Amino acid sequence: MDFLSNLALGFSVALTPFNLLMAVCGVLLGILIGALPGVGPPSGVALLLPLTFGMDPTSGIIMLAALYAGTMYGGTITAVLINTPGESASVVTCLDGHQMALQGRAGPALGIAAIGSFIAGTIGVVLLMLVSPALARWSLSFGPPETFALMLVGLTTVTLLTGENPVKGYISMVLGLMIAMVGFDIISGDARYAFGIPEMMDGIDFLPVAIGLFGLGEVLAGAEAAKGTAVANGRYRLRDVMPSAVDWVRSRWAIARGTVLGFAVGILPGAGPTISTFLAYTLEKKVSKRPEEFGHGAIEGVAAPEAANNAAATGAMVPMLTLGIPGSATTAIMLGGLMMWGLRPGPLLFEKNPQFVWGLIASQYIANVMLLILSTAFIPLFVRALRVPYGILMPIIILFCITGAYSLKNSVWDVGQMLVFGVLGYVMKKLGYSPAALTLALVLGPLAERALRQSLIISDAGAGIFFMRPISAVLTTAALLAVLVPVVRALKSAYRRREAARFGAV
Amino acid sequence: MRGADRIAGAGLLVLAISFSVGALTHYAYWSPNGPGPAFLPFWLGVVMAVLALLLLVGALRERDPGEDWLPRGEGLRRLAWVLGLTLALVASLDVVGMVVGTVIFMVMLVRVLDRHPWPTTLAVAFAVAGFNYFVFTRWLRVPLPVGVFGF
Repeated sequence: MDFLSNLALGFSVALTPFNLLMAVCGVLLGILIGALPGVGPPSGVALLLPLTFGMDPTSGIIMLAALYAGTMYGGTITAVLINTPGESASVVTCLDGHQMALQGRAGPALGIAAIGSFIAGTIGVVLLMLVSPALARWSLSFGPPETFALMLVGLTTVTLLTGENPVKGYISMVLGLMIAMVGFDIISGDARYAFGIPEMMDGIDFLPVAIGLFGLGEVLAGAEAAKGTAVANGRYRLRDVMPSAVDWVRSRWAIARGTVLGFAVGILPGAGPTISTFLAYTLEKKVSKRPEEFGHGAIEGVAAPEAANNAAATGAMVPMLTLGIPGSATTAIMLGGLMMWGLRPGPLLFEKNPQFVWGLIASQYIANVMLLILSTAFIPLFVRALRVPYGILMPIIILFCITGAYSLKNSVWDVGQMLVFGVLGYVMKKLGYSPAALTLALVLGPLAERALRQSLIISDAGAGIFFMRPISAVLTTAALLAVLVPVVRALKSAYRRREAARFGAV
Repeated sequence: MRGADRIAGAGLLVLAISFSVGALTHYAYWSPNGPGPAFLPFWLGVVMAVLALLLLVGALRERDPGEDWLPRGEGLRRLAWVLGLTLALVASLDVVGMVVGTVIFMVMLVRVLDRHPWPTTLAVAFAVAGFNYFVFTRWLRVPLPVGVFGF
């Protein structure tokens, strides 16, 4: 009964008028941010984080979590209507969603996505509620070696899963760790790599970095491309977006499978919503009796990935809250926010700040209900927002990047830092590096270094300690495999190419 | 992409080596009670050097120059315009202040670069400046730079 009283506590926090308002704002802004091309979930959370500093941390995280759920749906609107995913978790939705729009069925595509998101999000929160306390209790037994091994898994998987070139992924990750080394060393007190600049002695704050990489970086890439958008015309009233009975029958098991798969993938450190959508789509195509319809407007091809990305966004909260290991760039930025509010994510969070954790969980239920209402009732409004030309949107986003970076410490230094990382983000995006891996590494860097040094202090066998304790041995091996598998694969394909070239020459 | 990878590989290699050397010369690798402040930075530099070499060697052996990666023509002009204006705005914030700076910035980008009509331009510019002023300065009490005009 612990459970119910905790949940009751949560709802008493989440249902206060201000928190309710924050959840509505979060969902609305989230849908909008997800729908606008060039601003994805990480930039949305990074840009709004400064707004939450004046609030109570609970209200702040409620807004950010609602926003995260909203972005997952917002990306769908652009994917279906203009064949441009608003963010990476909606790439798969383009395949069948836009086909449906071309056949005049954009309404049902958006409708089933909203319903699927609602079901997946709600089941996801139930699972979050069931899994998190148990995981938190279990992880209480973790010492520094387990913590370090877990971070290693998070860092290597996110690197593995983002981008095509693993070498560039790992370069991004190590660069993030190097940036994390700047500033006072917690143990010795040395101001490392600060070059005598006072602002750098405190370290490089992750927020201006995140705003720069994701916000300004994406805008610069968009400015160069100067794209115009053409929105598919159509009717998007409530009656038009309701899926038919046939649609529903075809989709219900797809939604169920997508939910379970999405949540499971979301929990894994380093694997977020995007990867879950690809897996869910592949799975549906495999189990479907009509695989030939996929890619030509099969509604299951919209329902399953859309359910999966919402379930995964909820699942990604589990490792962030219980272990302090974010599962994606977006949760990495939220984790940074938690630390700025003075909350230490990890097993103790559940014991020390129950009103925070359970308030967040309860507000997720509310956010899902609102997401369903807002996304079905206000689709015409969001469609209109899509028609805002990029030339007007771009300066607005840049201004938000500037005020966001400035408001952190009221300092122009942070704005300068944001600009530097904005240019870096543009270059990284253009050349195939991974800003997500860099951000995750920057947030985890100081924690990982402390865990590593503490492990080596208590060890009698040097790095052997990571293989002598069962949990850390499994995790460390998994991380090493994540590093080695792409290397072996690259060598294999290079070998095959050379063989092919030799035979070709003969 | 090949050219970019060569430049990045070489640059990152230099960064990695100076990072490791800098760690060892300025900070302690090992302290009496375990690994010191130079321990992780040194190894990060080593790992980065290996990765940079992989990138560099791969790009040097690559025969296909790959797709063009430098911005050109209209794209370059727009990029330079946006980036230049952003830098100018940040550099002059303490003089013009956030409100006036916002309006000028919006006009330059929306009207001059993208040729939207004046009414749209001004409406958007004042809306954004007003939003920033009321949300940040008034509600959140973030003292955005005020400049010589006093707001």
